[in-house]
Amino acid sequence: MTRSITLGQYIPGQSFIHRLNPRLKILILVLILVLLFLLETFGALLASLATALAMFVLAGIPFSYLMRGLRPIFYIAFFALIIYFFFTSGGVVLLRIGFITVESEGVEQGLFIVARLVALVLFSLLVTLTTTPLSLTHGMGYFLKPLRYVGLPTEEVAMIMAVALRFIPTLMEESQRLMRAQLARGADFETGSIFRKAGNMVPLIVPLFVSAFRRADELAMAMEARGYRIGARRTRMHEDIITFKDWGALALVLVLVALVWVLSL
Amino acid sequence: MFIGTEKLTHTYMPGTPFATKALHDISFNFKQGDFALIIGPSGSGKSTLIQHLNGLLKPTSGQVVFEGKNISSDKQELLRLRKRIGMVFQMPEEQFFSETVFDEVAFAPRNQGFDDNEVENKVIEALKKSGLDPDELRMRHPFQLSAGQKRLVAIAAVLSLNPEVLILDEPTVALDTAYRKNLFDLLTGLNHKEGLTIIISTHHLDEAAALANRVLVLKQGELAMFGPAAEVFGRREELYNLGLALPPVTEIMHGLAEKGMPVKTSVYTLQEARQAINEVKRRDRS
Amino acid sequence: MAAQPSTIIEAKDVDFYYPGGEDADSSALSGINLTVKQGEYLALVGPNGSGKTTFLKLLNALLIPTHGQVLVKGISTEVESTLPEVRRACGMIFQNPDNQLVATTVEEDIAFGLENLALPPEEIRNRVFKTATLLGLEKLLRQPPHLLSGGEKQRVAIAGVLVMEPECILMDEPTAMLDPAGRCDVLNTVRELNRNRNIAVIHVTHFPEEAAGANRVVVLNEGKLAADGAPVEVMTDLQFLHGLGLQGTTAVELAALLRQDSFPLPPQILYNRELVDSLCSLGQKS
Repeated sequence: MTRSITLGQYIPGQSFIHRLNPRLKILILVLILVLLFLLETFGALLASLATALAMFVLAGIPFSYLMRGLRPIFYIAFFALIIYFFFTSGGVVLLRIGFITVESEGVEQGLFIVARLVALVLFSLLVTLTTTPLSLTHGMGYFLKPLRYVGLPTEEVAMIMAVALRFIPTLMEESQRLMRAQLARGADFETGSIFRKAGNMVPLIVPLFVSAFRRADELAMAMEARGYRIGARRTRMHEDIITFKDWGALALVLVLVALVWVLSL
Repeated sequence: MFIGTEKLTHTYMPGTPFATKALHDISFNFKQGDFALIIGPSGSGKSTLIQHLNGLLKPTSGQVVFEGKNISSDKQELLRLRKRIGMVFQMPEEQFFSETVFDEVAFAPRNQGFDDNEVENKVIEALKKSGLDPDELRMRHPFQLSAGQKRLVAIAAVLSLNPEVLILDEPTVALDTAYRKNLFDLLTGLNHKEGLTIIISTHHLDEAAALANRVLVLKQGELAMFGPAAEVFGRREELYNLGLALPPVTEIMHGLAEKGMPVKTSVYTLQEARQAINEVKRRDRS
Repeated sequence: MAAQPSTIIEAKDVDFYYPGGEDADSSALSGINLTVKQGEYLALVGPNGSGKTTFLKLLNALLIPTHGQVLVKGISTEVESTLPEVRRACGMIFQNPDNQLVATTVEEDIAFGLENLALPPEEIRNRVFKTATLLGLEKLLRQPPHLLSGGEKQRVAIAGVLVMEPECILMDEPTAMLDPAGRCDVLNTVRELNRNRNIAVIHVTHFPEEAAGANRVVVLNEGKLAADGAPVEVMTDLQFLHGLGLQGTTAVELAALLRQDSFPLPPQILYNRELVDSLCSLGQKS
């Protein structure tokens, strides 16, 4: 039972950041990411880190989620630091171990890169934590809309994405159950060569596919019974309205980007 | 202690913001040869509990005990343990992946490393034990069987290990009355004739109530009741409040008793009810 | 004189066979004539493979008769252009609650049918909220379906149908995968809708107790109509039911056994309470 697994990373909330229009949220994120690459001083970077943290507080996201989100980049950050510390020369020698030296330039650059990385991750995390996966896909779907003109059925693709999102937890639960069921029959998913391992996965993969197809069949039936028709016009319960606030947020970030650009010139 | 737990607690995803306690401080034991039920509303932790009994889940704290010993987490020992404690999952026919009934049932013995001859013997024996005709079925495609036959093949696939304990999670779900009766007849036979210890987790008491001799009731991950079947089923009000219904025939007997008929209420089958009512009539006459 | 209840569904000489039809689960139908009126609660029973599910699918145009006609509010299900109206009027609830919820939140799932009708968002929101409140789901609106209990999932599915303001709800064994509490929950919900809103219900079930609770029972056997009448006629005819491999309610079965023991019980006993009352009054007379 994986009742506790939430879909994606979304944490429900009613903050200003939660309520931003998902389309604009994605656009703003892209702008902020560009901005982070434009920043060249430590001060500016620290300011943006502080901004990110402030926004986490505003959005009411517990500190533990923030740490969990940062965990995947821990090793990358660690190795980046090592490489910069030991292999970049310049500035004052801070530490000497045998023939290896740590010089101030390396420390500075290393810390700068890591700070930028952390800021990038924090802002992206902020978006995924405050937007439901469904809105996120709809938001991204919006930017795919031009592809309609080259023959991609974007509405249907959006529906497929939404259904996929709905079934991820169900199928995860199912694969976990299947795995245990076959383990109970003495299956072995861990030992042996890679080919043996692949062969051993058959008792897992075949039933998973059979079940997925059966589910798909029943779901298609249920959708049809509820009047879904491919190509027919649909509306959405929650309209994708861009409010004055959304425009305001976008304008603010645009001004920021412009300012940084000008200052860095 | 034959099989049971001591102060078993299980937490899903411990140490994360998602941590949820699925089981809390559960201690019980079943005896060899028991026909035991684990009942409780859905979400009360039945599946989680039984998956501990053959080591598929590890306790967050506490112990699982088999034959007086704590079960270890050593991989080889777990494999041996799972041979002795067979487990049939909910809707077990959904695990099928082979092209013949034979291969499906042979999966477990093959995993235990038996040679072809032994595997064949074990498969045929398991199919027979499950009330199926090996000659008729062995080359059939498991997906093309009837719902009832599929369920029996799935049970044979576990019986092929010759387990001493058979655990079944909600074995009758989505089966109709005739198949359900068939399945319980089979389990009764295995329990009586082969001395197999049977543990069933279910929320459907209609057929199971009459067969059980020991019952454990779970409520939101905690042990609500544990004891001999007659004692647990006697606490009808409490079961009712947990959303568990005694078999309809038992309800009829309680109805009669409430109206003042001096009738026995620990009755779980039609035949028992018939006897009990006739007895009252005889006593009335004499 | 009160107005005659209007006809919702009419099946006229319906034959149906699957092209190729070898699938054991999907059986053919022949010569079905059936009329369902507004506000009826009809239980559809029959052995496995008798064509119950197939028949249900014919009623909301998921399948089209090979011969004959199905009319929903006088509209033939064959006509492509009126399909949305047929499906609005006749909503369907399936057995597996997991495989019929489409959206990632409860509210969007309830809205799905209305979105397909391309109604204005404002109206969709109002109707979804009203329906959810009616079924006691208003606190779950933002929940993802996989966090709901089985009974809750089925009620969401019912809400998704109800929001379309249907004249008839078709249900294919909606309680087969639920625990007793969930079953109760779903049955009460549907019965209330049937009584208070005069919505017709066609309920496929293999639980005799559920069939007895309907106000009309239709029996299918091998694709043909085998019986059609009030529960007290159909569900008390044990010879007929047993002949098809079906069962009467527990009260009916027990009453039959007691009659063999020469208890003079009236023939129309159907529910537990009736059996209890009759037995008690017998006791008083003697």
